[in-house]
Amino acid sequence: MVDVGGPAPYIYVSTRMRVRKAKLIPREEYLRMLNMSLPEITRFIGETEYKREIDELASSFSGINLIEVGLSWNLAKEYQDVLKITPSGVMRFVQSYLRHWDIQNVLTILRGKMQGVKPGKIKEVLVPAGELDKNALDRLLAEDSPDRIVEAVKGRRLGPLLSAGLHEALETGSFATLENELYKNLYMQMVSDAKGGVAGGYEFLGYIQTEIDTRNIMNLFRFRGQHASGEEIKALLIPGGKAFTVDELVRMSTIENLDELIEAAKKKTRDPELAAVFDELRQQRPVHEVEVLLTTYRLKQMERLSKRYPFSVLPILAYLEMKRYEVANLRAIARGKEYGLANERIEGYLVM
Amino acid sequence: MADPVMTLEMIEASQMGLKAVGAGLAVGLAGVGTGLGELGIGAAAVGATAENKDMFGLALLFTVIPETVVIFGLVVALLLLF
Repeated sequence: MVDVGGPAPYIYVSTRMRVRKAKLIPREEYLRMLNMSLPEITRFIGETEYKREIDELASSFSGINLIEVGLSWNLAKEYQDVLKITPSGVMRFVQSYLRHWDIQNVLTILRGKMQGVKPGKIKEVLVPAGELDKNALDRLLAEDSPDRIVEAVKGRRLGPLLSAGLHEALETGSFATLENELYKNLYMQMVSDAKGGVAGGYEFLGYIQTEIDTRNIMNLFRFRGQHASGEEIKALLIPGGKAFTVDELVRMSTIENLDELIEAAKKKTRDPELAAVFDELRQQRPVHEVEVLLTTYRLKQMERLSKRYPFSVLPILAYLEMKRYEVANLRAIARGKEYGLANERIEGYLVM
Repeated sequence: MADPVMTLEMIEASQMGLKAVGAGLAVGLAGVGTGLGELGIGAAAVGATAENKDMFGLALLFTVIPETVVIFGLVVALLLLF
């Protein structure tokens, strides 16, 4: 969007985001959907914001695939739509945020190619929301070897790391280390973008720090019971958080007793909301519930920040994240139903 | 130098002139204030209408509410002049 200066573009985009947020599927609807069968869910989704994609794709896909592809397409379209109305002053932050889709897409393509999956099948799970658009991804899909794919994205920000780690990944057959490195690098780049002295960077930094903190805590809970060494854990934590530094987190990971861990974590935070989340975590919970709790906290925190700083990138990011979890929820319900899981089980995975 | 002598006509004329300046300021500043008020409302109204066309009527109504301030300015200006 052309920036006409002043607060008007921010007010405009905040209002649009607010209207879109109001259109997101509310909690009660998810609970209702849990009692539906897969075709009913498809029809239900087809009557909401996903109508166009479901109608368009209904002739070429059916069942769970129709929902999956429809959701991905809608998410990508929504992201591109939002980019069009983003004020130019904060455009670079939104683009920086959307870059994690590039990592996801490129790695999906590489993994698919390694497993010998057909390009058409890989395309179904791509979300062309980042810098690499549909056409760029199509070109990557048409390449026949991983080396050529990496060569094609060499000029992008993720290029150097990708080409450095590709050899090892191909030898071990696992992209996990490469993936961790790419995401860590992404966060570091986001932090340096935010600290680059550009107006609006301060608010963006607030968002990234919350994200890094929650992700690190999630990882901490994942490590529990894995008996990983301090060095291993340190290698996987993301530096740059606000509430916890990497060293503190490594120290916390050595605490065996859950209550003591919670106490140590609570001492570090001044945010009463986060302290409440830690209290919830006092019970022994499966990892996915910990993730849902922390994600819910993060979304609430973003909502609060977006209200405190309406003339920033935060209202846009808050909406994009909420949309992302709406899609994740719908996918979880559809997949869960497909495999005949119990309602309570599916509900445990929903971020509401 | 001789003292300047002001006749009654001159005083009346300058009073009229200052009234006109005051009236101009009343309408002008009220207009600027209204513009500032409408800046945010207008941007939000266009945003809301872009998302949901049914909002148009209500959005338009909200946008013109600060116009009342100009009417106050206009009333003051008319009172000054007549």
